[in-house]
Amino acid sequence: MTPLTINGFAALSAAGDRPEALARRVAALAGECHPGAPVGGLVTEPLPRAEGHTVRDFDVRARLGRRGTSFYDRATALAVVACGEALSDSGLTVDDTNRARIGMVLGTTVGSLKSTSDYSRETLVQEKPYLVNPMLFPNTVMNCAAGQAAIRHGLKGINATVTGGPLAFFHALRYASNAIRRGYVDTMLVGAVEEFSAHRAWASALGPAGGEVLPGEGAAVFVIGGHTDPAGRAAVCAVTTGYGPDGTAEQALTDCVARALHVAGVAPTDVTLLATSETITSGRRPQRAAALRALRGHRPAELVVSRAAGDCGAATPALALVAALGLPDDGDRPPSGLTLLTAHGTDGGVGAALVRR
Amino acid sequence: MRRVVVTGLGPVSSIGTGVTAFGAALRAGRSGISQITSFDPSGFPYRNGGEVRDFDPAAWLRRLPPERWGRSSQFAAAAARLAADDAKLDLDTVDRSRAHAVIGTTSGESVVLEALTAHLVEAGFDAVPPRLIEQLPAGRLAHAVSEELGLRGESLTLATACSASNYAIGYAYDLLVTGESDVVFAGGADSVCRWAHAGFYRLGALTETACTPFDRDRSGILTGEGGAVLALETREHAEARGAYIYAEVLGYGLNCDANHPVAPDRDSIAECIRIAHRNAGVTPDQVDYICAHGTGTPANDLVEAQAVLEVFGPEPPPISSIKSMIGHTMGAASGFGAIASTLAIEQGFLPPTVNWSHPDPQLAAIDPVPNEARSATVRLVQNNGFAFGGNNAIVLLGAAQ
Repeated sequence: MTPLTINGFAALSAAGDRPEALARRVAALAGECHPGAPVGGLVTEPLPRAEGHTVRDFDVRARLGRRGTSFYDRATALAVVACGEALSDSGLTVDDTNRARIGMVLGTTVGSLKSTSDYSRETLVQEKPYLVNPMLFPNTVMNCAAGQAAIRHGLKGINATVTGGPLAFFHALRYASNAIRRGYVDTMLVGAVEEFSAHRAWASALGPAGGEVLPGEGAAVFVIGGHTDPAGRAAVCAVTTGYGPDGTAEQALTDCVARALHVAGVAPTDVTLLATSETITSGRRPQRAAALRALRGHRPAELVVSRAAGDCGAATPALALVAALGLPDDGDRPPSGLTLLTAHGTDGGVGAALVRR
Repeated sequence: MRRVVVTGLGPVSSIGTGVTAFGAALRAGRSGISQITSFDPSGFPYRNGGEVRDFDPAAWLRRLPPERWGRSSQFAAAAARLAADDAKLDLDTVDRSRAHAVIGTTSGESVVLEALTAHLVEAGFDAVPPRLIEQLPAGRLAHAVSEELGLRGESLTLATACSASNYAIGYAYDLLVTGESDVVFAGGADSVCRWAHAGFYRLGALTETACTPFDRDRSGILTGEGGAVLALETREHAEARGAYIYAEVLGYGLNCDANHPVAPDRDSIAECIRIAHRNAGVTPDQVDYICAHGTGTPANDLVEAQAVLEVFGPEPPPISSIKSMIGHTMGAASGFGAIASTLAIEQGFLPPTVNWSHPDPQLAAIDPVPNEARSATVRLVQNNGFAFGGNNAIVLLGAAQ
């Protein structure tokens, strides 16, 4: 299969709003966990822990102006800004000659959990249940961020939103590859976003992973395909997803990795970096174990981005890819070559991707 | 090139569950609208919706333990099980790693989210039961299908709001024509919830008692729910196992308005119709029936009709809205539309727009198939789906060759 090129990318994370910043933080931590920082005034509700990994001093109005941004929630704002920066990094100018051929697909878990839950809350606490703000209604719908990004950047091609938490980014990559290969569009913006909120912090703390890693937030967007740079900065060689029914997720992930190696036509020893989407710090790591089984004894370098950027839900693997690609060539970058990304969503949902730098 | 066929239909709806009941209700023009019971509607001026009353997931599900899954996941899994049974597909004879689940939704596990919110309003975040956190992720709608049927292929929930089922059917079509899969269960699911009822009411898009698409006095939607899943296969796979073929999926088109978060855009919808026709290799004169998005809001129906006239000229094919019967089932809506379209082709009838009483002078060229189903030879159907975010999606279905 012909690889798709990555012609530009951008990321906003707790490490800053340049991809290099995240890559440097990952390198500096050398596998240790970043302690996070007090969340401060970003959240008014009580939190399970005072610390988190938030994008500091993020002000969408300062970035994009007042017009059109008043009703953005944080997830939408992060996504819209990241899309703009990815476009500019790629050098692609959107105009009337190409906007119908540029699409986007964003990964999420449930959209903005805060926007939706706050809306539902209003129906309970207001004097009348219908006294909700109609202007905020679209924010309760999971495609809000992708729809607003299309409006802001004038992208009239295929516009999709895929779910799956950490698995969503793999779905997004596959969805984008299909749209390009089928000839529906020339270029896709592919990314994932997750905002920090008390709702997500509690969901992370009360969820299956038990909040071992601090809650985080971020957005990462890649400009894929397109004709601006035929050589590309990196190439997506294979993306596979699958499902393991009856508690067989780990085996399903091993199968996904094996299939990705087969599709890309590479050997396990070609993989130089394994980037998992895990949000655990101790004990057995099923994702790592599943991937290493498929690599048949080969042990690449490892990257667990949540240790540097927190549990960023759907954005976690997208940020991992940014970290893997983020350092300039002259820096002390992670190993060049082939990065294997993995994810386990909920239940039996798993995915793998191979990206060549 | 491989061809894609519909071999099984799984509707779980307010007018009937299973293809026989749903098809009969469509022909009879039955209404599934009643006063909402899943939440207390007494504080709302308008209280009607299209609920699937007495939905008993245990009656349909064989492998999925319902208590671990939210209502929308249960709808999706029950609809997929019905579709698999209707297709007489023995899953033990299928390569499960080449069998996928692609489900569309607007609000995912909205009932779970509202229960979670009620807990945190009542007693704070730390009082939220972990069970609800576990059931919340929208990705579980497709996972419920994969789990129920034991599928090992891609398990994807698309969240492109009210056209999401058409997105799902379109992506499934691509997975099949490109040789990635043999079987895909595609469709959508959503549940009636208080917050959407409130939001549509405040947008001025909700109607009081009955949804009346294309009527002069139409005044809005009614929120509805359910699960709508189609079993899709490559024609080769279906023929090799001697499956009954309902219809063929000919292709689809997607585009994005990139203009306004909620208002429909005539030119963009017209362009989406052209894209869909081009991808499916059909021309407007070949389309026998349009299964409308037809929400029943003044703006949607006018804009949709104008877009149709722009592409089809002054005499477009009949265009009816099944939302008049089941309400707006959100992410499941175009899935129900696809099932209705398939039955229209297979059984030779046009589903009616019920509750229609006043011609709209602005829609004079539109034949909404008022109030009663009509016998017709239907060889090619266009199934429209539009959404918040300007996410337009149109699927073309044709008679089995």
